[in-house]
Amino acid sequence: MTGVVTRPVLIAAALCAMARPGPAQDTRPEATTLTGDTSYGCLVCHADKRRAFVQGIHSEWGIRCHDCHGGNPESLEIGPAHAGVFVGVPDKQQTVEICSSCHADPDQMRQYGLPADQFAELKTSRHGQLLESGNQDAPTCSDCHDPHTTLPSSDARSATFPTNIPDTCGRCHTDAEMMAPYGLGTDQLEEFRYSTHGRAIYDDGNFAAPSCIGCHGSHAALPPDVGEIANVCGRCHIDVRHALAAGPHGGSQEAGNIILGCTSCHTNHGTETVASDSIAETCTSCHQDGSPALKIGEQIQEGVIRAEHQMESAREAINELALAGRQTSDARFRYRNALTEFRQIARVQHSLDPELLTDIELKVSSITKGIESEAEVAHEERWEHRLLLIPLWFFALSIATLAYFRLRRV
Amino acid sequence: MRQRLTAWFGQARDTLKRTADPGLLGALRVFGLLYGKIDRSIPIDESLRKSWSRRLPANVTWKHAFGGIAYFLFMILVVSGVLLTFYYRPSVEEAYPSIQFIVSEAPFGWLLRDMHVWAASLIVIALLAHMARILFAGAYKSPRETSWFVGIALFAVVVFFGVTGYLLPWDQWAYWATAEFTSGLERIPLFGGLIAMFLRGDRIVSSATLSRFFALHVIVLPWLAFGLISLHFVIVRGHGIAGSEQAPKGEGTPFYPNHLMRLVVISVFLIAAVGTLAAVFPRPVGDPATPFYAPEELVSTWVMVDVTIALLHFFGPLGILVALILIAALALIPLFDRKPETDLRSRPAVTLLGVILFGGFILAWAIGHRLSVSIDSGTVPQEMLEERALPPIPPPIIDSETGASGAGGAVAEEVVE
Repeated sequence: MTGVVTRPVLIAAALCAMARPGPAQDTRPEATTLTGDTSYGCLVCHADKRRAFVQGIHSEWGIRCHDCHGGNPESLEIGPAHAGVFVGVPDKQQTVEICSSCHADPDQMRQYGLPADQFAELKTSRHGQLLESGNQDAPTCSDCHDPHTTLPSSDARSATFPTNIPDTCGRCHTDAEMMAPYGLGTDQLEEFRYSTHGRAIYDDGNFAAPSCIGCHGSHAALPPDVGEIANVCGRCHIDVRHALAAGPHGGSQEAGNIILGCTSCHTNHGTETVASDSIAETCTSCHQDGSPALKIGEQIQEGVIRAEHQMESAREAINELALAGRQTSDARFRYRNALTEFRQIARVQHSLDPELLTDIELKVSSITKGIESEAEVAHEERWEHRLLLIPLWFFALSIATLAYFRLRRV
Repeated sequence: MRQRLTAWFGQARDTLKRTADPGLLGALRVFGLLYGKIDRSIPIDESLRKSWSRRLPANVTWKHAFGGIAYFLFMILVVSGVLLTFYYRPSVEEAYPSIQFIVSEAPFGWLLRDMHVWAASLIVIALLAHMARILFAGAYKSPRETSWFVGIALFAVVVFFGVTGYLLPWDQWAYWATAEFTSGLERIPLFGGLIAMFLRGDRIVSSATLSRFFALHVIVLPWLAFGLISLHFVIVRGHGIAGSEQAPKGEGTPFYPNHLMRLVVISVFLIAAVGTLAAVFPRPVGDPATPFYAPEELVSTWVMVDVTIALLHFFGPLGILVALILIAALALIPLFDRKPETDLRSRPAVTLLGVILFGGFILAWAIGHRLSVSIDSGTVPQEMLEERALPPIPPPIIDSETGASGAGGAVAEEVVE
């Protein structure tokens, strides 16, 4: 995925390097001169662009204005400075050509360890096809990558940083007017934000979770075909893909009765988890009431709910032990084992085999019962502590009685 | 040799004969022959008999027992506290596990620890009841002002005992209550920051604070308390109980058995009550302390924390300030109320102050115990947490002339090279 994420940056990196023989000849000391060299003609008028440019990685590697825009930077007058091979502000098509002049050249990219296939990928994408047809809605390199402050995707300021990618795509894909001619919806970003994947990225900072490009690709961006969905999801959810293929739903695919892969039960951008008490209900969207398939769904639902209750009971038992001042490290370790088994349910339930589910449920149960029994022992001990009150009060009342009789004698 | 044995047996026979004497002191002689020998040179029996036969005024009743109750609770705290220190380890790494060990593994550790916790709350209530009786009876008036001031100092010591002991379990509730307390101290003008820094030994509650609180709790405060208690008893004994001036000499009731038997009854019931509270309502243990996040709810396990929570909830920091001013006024009452009248109607201001303080305390305790409190972990500066998460490498100490490194040598040598 990292490679996919970094590719857009590389296209942008090419943007400013078209006219040069190759950035390999540039060195860092040269780059530093740009920031302070007042004799560099472009800076006379375009000082604001310099401020943005010096923050980017192209500046770091010695690429300068005229490498992309042409012209003569040695001249301090507008006319001669813009004479010769001068591009000025490139249009969308020119932008791709400028960037790819370096970024599609493996000989130039090799030294940076960067791929050189972005341009080839772009041509296969819907974006690239529209761009080639002269469509002005189609994005070019600089629509996703800042042309002047060109940053690697590992930089949190970059538009291609994992948490920024949905917003970058959303710039166009939330624009209803722009999307209308292509028959595309504009709610993907909102759905994604609160999806399992979105929460993982935004709330947990888990950049292994996919953003838009994880499923659609970046430069070769296209929605997956119906038959490809299970493969796309299965790139990360490997176990689930295998379980699904081994079960009746996998068989139905082979027989040509293709269900819509993962999106039959989960939505594509929302990617919500089917709640344990909604499993059977989800089955009814395809299977009729009373059908054997639905009964399997109900069995799975019951098994998952039972396992969830067992995990909940174990959590409560650990809390109870902790509150009672018991050492809980062993119980917590066993709970983690139970959790490892419990998480297998997510895989196994896709195989639609109740027996496999029962096996896991038994494993979860045997561990959680052990934790619960430990809490019960602690609870019983607390009751035993209260038995001490019998001799204590017997002693107190006896002394008090003796004292009372002694006082009566006075 | 024979003569010495004969003499020794003679003494033993004499001691045993005296042991058979009627009376409570006779029981002490079962401890053996040694006691008899000591008693012959130091007349313990005689002095005790003299002391116990001392007569107290007839108006001394059960309501005078609160001071004795507080003293007995202090004894419970001392005994249980000493036994707890056998197992408790005052370090950040070991404090929490040692509490877990005391509660779940050590024989009767649960009982000692919960009796200690409950006695810490009950002693505050007993002291306040004792102070209320003194205040409303006007027993703080001349010549007993010093006794009142020493009593107030003792109350402060007991409260500080609780404050320092509260941190020792080193769970989240203890940690964050202490963090709130010390950051509250910082708000006191002029010396607040200095006092907070002295108590914490650090910018946040840390291992330095735990060490300081433990030292104060088990070394400094016990000595202070024993000193003040002795002084209090000496003064009380010197002046006698208030009201005894009016009683004719030779009248009243003897200390033994009338009052001592009452104290015995109160003591055994007190032990039973504290034991019952310990067994039925054990103090729960929170999660291990961490400065990185506050607990979802701050569970209070001490009466003064309940009262503070209620004051902060209803009146904010101003409530604490007003309460402190009222307590200061209470402490200084003997300086202002110098008339000999003890009738409450002739002392309306004192009566009002007493009702507000003692009634307010009970009310705040009852309400504070039911309030749910969450705290903002922002009292711990973020940069401090970052420092603690990644401890900085100590700066190299380099001799400015030779360039030779001292402590932190390896780093220093690299720098020099």
